[in-house]
Amino acid sequence: MGEEIKQFDLIILGKGAAAFSAAIKASELSNGEMSIAMVGTGPLGGTCVNVGCVPSKYLLESSHAVFRPEHPTMPGIYETRVSHDFGEVMKGLRSYVSHAREVKYSQVIDNYTNVTLFEGLGKFIDKRIVAITGPDGKELDRVKGSNILIATGSHPTAPNIEGLHDTGFLTSDTIWELKALPRSVAIIGGGAIGLEIGQALLHFGSRVIVIEALDALLPQTEPEIGLALRSKLEKEGMQFHLRARINSVSRSRDGKSIEIITHRGKEKLEAEEILVATGRQPNTGSLNLEAAGVRTDSRGLIITSDGMATSTPGIYAAGDCVSKKMFLETLAAREGVVAVSNMFGDDMKIDYDAATWAVFTSPQVAGVGMTENEFSKKNGACSCRVFSLENLTKASIMGETEGIIKITVDPRSNRIVGMHIMAPNATDIITEGAYAVRKGYTVDDVIATSHIFPSISEGIKLAAQSFIRDISKMACCVE
Amino acid sequence: MEDRKVRLRIYGMTCDDCVATVSRGLRNQDGVIDVKVSLKEGIAEVAVDSAKVKPEALLKNGVFTKPSHYRATLVDH
Ligand SMILES: Cc1cc2nc3c(=O)[nH]c(=O)nc-3n(C[C@H](O)[C@H](O)[C@H](O)COP(=O)(O)OP(=O)(O)OC[C@H]3O[C@@H](n4cnc5c(N)ncnc54)[C@H](O)[C@@H]3O)c2cc1C
Repeated sequence: MGEEIKQFDLIILGKGAAAFSAAIKASELSNGEMSIAMVGTGPLGGTCVNVGCVPSKYLLESSHAVFRPEHPTMPGIYETRVSHDFGEVMKGLRSYVSHAREVKYSQVIDNYTNVTLFEGLGKFIDKRIVAITGPDGKELDRVKGSNILIATGSHPTAPNIEGLHDTGFLTSDTIWELKALPRSVAIIGGGAIGLEIGQALLHFGSRVIVIEALDALLPQTEPEIGLALRSKLEKEGMQFHLRARINSVSRSRDGKSIEIITHRGKEKLEAEEILVATGRQPNTGSLNLEAAGVRTDSRGLIITSDGMATSTPGIYAAGDCVSKKMFLETLAAREGVVAVSNMFGDDMKIDYDAATWAVFTSPQVAGVGMTENEFSKKNGACSCRVFSLENLTKASIMGETEGIIKITVDPRSNRIVGMHIMAPNATDIITEGAYAVRKGYTVDDVIATSHIFPSISEGIKLAAQSFIRDISKMACCVE
Repeated sequence: MEDRKVRLRIYGMTCDDCVATVSRGLRNQDGVIDVKVSLKEGIAEVAVDSAKVKPEALLKNGVFTKPSHYRATLVDH
């Protein structure tokens, strides 16, 4: 261990999205003068670029490139088999991840000479001093910071199921190393990660079975969307076992065997591979947070104010290790900025109400603000409309009418409080909902705003118009 | 009057004029009793009447907010 404690203006624990956005913001605010220690293990960029957003979206896009020509939606266009090599696709994926990490993280941080990288895990000695330990637990260094940001993220968890660990399984950390496409995959957990990876493997040709404890998909969104997505995925061949509990997992002749219990009783499912996508746990267990007086909730997530301050003055937290409802790269980055700005005396607050989220299946699902149910529960009443893409010219032309746009408004003011979309490019057009919720726009504001015809975004205008007239009786382009 | 010493890390100072500007800005703040600024260390030691000014309030001093290019953080909390 180095003799003396190295002194920094700011210590950042983590090397992921929250850490990077915080380091860059702090450098900007201090004209590059703030000395920053960035402490962490593993590849730069953390979850998002290495094992999260980037590889999952790459896998989905490549799988659609195989699936779509084989499933044409227009008359006169015939099924075309796309010859492909899954192993090469995965090589391409890994190479793209390396490239993205290099360009977006390694080269970026090289420009910030005020940032010193430390390899190792951080552990609080007290509220200002952090020990950095190597893989064997040996202390390598000690750093002291005037301010500290905890941005240690999270890791995938696996439920305690008999035989699961002995049988072996993949997670969103390990699936990117696959060399060959499994003939069949059982996915435990029907959330965003399970559905995205599940549809990608399905589009490449795997048989995919999803086992989910809840009785609906994507409970964070409108029930109509959960149902519509399930119906679409079922049509593509995905099998669902909802309200299912897993009894045990074992090895079988052809792969892996899963015994589930549903309302139908016990069932045995067979698959070559198992993907566990049941959730994530914060990387806070080894931080020795007690020594710093930083409080966590019952799941180990760090409790912060809306300014990202923890229970200890001078210690902030950002990203997936924070106690909150949504765990997204975009929020991690924003929280990093909020935390650092407040170290400089600003009064910035994180705005979760207008935060957009997405599931990148095809069609995509995206949302912002409250669902009908959430608003009604809070306020007693609400007004909402569900617009089907069957009434949208662009969607009909594309042959992709399985989708909806649901808008929820506050009946007292007509202001939009939530928008939830299932549509081919929901992740792009949801930003209109984000502006509406953040700025308090009304449905009339949306109607009065120009939208391109024919486009999927026009669906938002039509959904808004459905508050004032019967859309099914409306000609094109009525204002 | 309750005396308290607050240390600030100051960013953006390059010369003695900067030291003078920052010191003047801090001295003009209600509750500030004395200011010592070190250009070399980028540190200000501010004696305050803690009944009148909280340490965080020093960061909001006009000399640390736009359009000024100086910024500050607290060294001790
Ligand atoms: C498969 C998948 C797909 C996803 N897709 C999307 C998407 O499309 N869009 C989106 O917005 N979000 C997506 N997410 C979520 C997104 O990846 C995360 O919200 C985001 O990466 C969190 O960033 P973070 O900085 O909080 O944590 P991380 O990126 O996980 O970084 C944490 C860092 O802390 C380090 N660390 C851990 N313990 C310690 C310690 N004791 N001391 C020091 N350092 C430590 C780690 O090594 C790592 O560098 C996806 C996630 C997954 C798993």
